[in-house]
Amino acid sequence: MIVKDVFADVLLGAAVLIVASASLGVLLMRDAYRKLHFVTPAALVAPFLVALAVLVQMGWYQNTGETCLALFFLVIAGPYLSHATMRAIRVREAGDWRQVARATRPGAEKEQ
Amino acid sequence: MVLAFTAAAIAMLIAMIPAGIVLCRDDLPAAIVAYEFIGAVVVMVLVLLAQAFQRPALFELPVLFALLLFGSGLVFVRAMERWL
Repeated sequence: MIVKDVFADVLLGAAVLIVASASLGVLLMRDAYRKLHFVTPAALVAPFLVALAVLVQMGWYQNTGETCLALFFLVIAGPYLSHATMRAIRVREAGDWRQVARATRPGAEKEQ
Repeated sequence: MVLAFTAAAIAMLIAMIPAGIVLCRDDLPAAIVAYEFIGAVVVMVLVLLAQAFQRPALFELPVLFALLLFGSGLVFVRAMERWL
């Protein structure tokens, strides 16, 4: 019982540390592209640790299942949201997210 | 053990403060990034509080919030891309 508690405590501590450091990263980085890199640890790694802590504490139980379901939604949503956000920021800044690639491609002037 | 989950939830709420500062004070793209960060952390806080209070019914809230976070995030970035 004590080993389980200590293991869950360590997992929770690691999750809190990851969230705290990622939050500082979001604050300290210069632009939104760099800030976006710090969302992933908080959206993927820390929830995994929290789900593991619940699993260690409760075993295979309804609570663990629902925690894993929430983790599943976060894991699915994270990469899509990051990509969509980066694309939207690029479109907002440059008008089209493919603009640089088109301009540097050979024969781009003829197409335009 | 209840104390550990409650303490972790409180610590995560405190850890969200720097992201909250970005949300309030930075430009729109950075604010949306901070919103996504805070949304992901809130899912964890809800899980931790449900576990701390030992209430299985409360576990449905983070599941629903994680699902809605995906849709709302896409709506926000789409709105930023097109109109804001």
